[in-house]
Amino acid sequence: MIDSYVYVITALLPLVSCMLIFQVNPYHALVIRGILGAVTALTYTVLGAADVALTEALVGTLLAVVLYTVAVRSSMVLRLGVLKSAIAGGEAGDPQPVSFKQLTTDLQTVFSNHHMRVELVPYPNREELHQALVDKEIHATCHSSETCTDHQPYDITIRLPRLYDILRAELASSTAHLTYMSSSDSVSAHSSIHPSIHSSVHSSESEEAHP
Amino acid sequence: MNLILIGMILALLIPLYEVWKDDDIWQTMLAFSSVSTKTAVMILFISVLRDDWMIGVVGVIILSVGNAGFMLLAHILKRMGDT
Repeated sequence: MIDSYVYVITALLPLVSCMLIFQVNPYHALVIRGILGAVTALTYTVLGAADVALTEALVGTLLAVVLYTVAVRSSMVLRLGVLKSAIAGGEAGDPQPVSFKQLTTDLQTVFSNHHMRVELVPYPNREELHQALVDKEIHATCHSSETCTDHQPYDITIRLPRLYDILRAELASSTAHLTYMSSSDSVSAHSSIHPSIHSSVHSSESEEAHP
Repeated sequence: MNLILIGMILALLIPLYEVWKDDDIWQTMLAFSSVSTKTAVMILFISVLRDDWMIGVVGVIILSVGNAGFMLLAHILKRMGDT
């Protein structure tokens, strides 16, 4: 004879698993995985398997969720190499570092739509910055550009094609010049490939300068 | 007694609805803590109902360890928000 509440408790299980499946944000999904672990432990207990419930609570709710949170946190990140002077200048409040701050805010906005973080990794000079990109310590570099400083004061060099595609499509208020560097250490010709982005950025910049 | 348990299950549906509806991660964490505590208390209630001490011990362990895991998870999420 099975009590009626057992059926109701068991019906909670597919409900929570559907919520877990249809969740797109990885962090929300992990928390819902914890909820699923709690409900599963309850179900196992009601059905009489106390040892299985204990294992589910310890492993499913505690260990798996915490370990996966650490894994998601360290993998879904854009490591952006910057010069130390750029970060230090932002605190001093110069006009150019203000646009650098704006640029990092834009980057964070773009990547937060993809549930990613932007982590700034400071380097003392440009040679070490470039070497870190070649050595795959960082995913992208951002430094002030030597040419065309009026319209695009920053150069962003990216070595991952997917990140380059995301930035090219979504970085709207761009004060930066995007460059894709393939793994064979050859910088591709960016301006000839994507002239439309250049023209649009130039026009928006000139509108801001002369309203 | 069954009616009390059915009432507890209905109370369990409230944080589940909150998880489904809300987008804030901390609201989700609050709902997680609510669900975790509610299921542990339900396990304790069922253990008393069935006079089964083994289930009772499992309920106590889940209740205490669940809070520890919750604090760990909250700390990781908080550090993620800081950086």
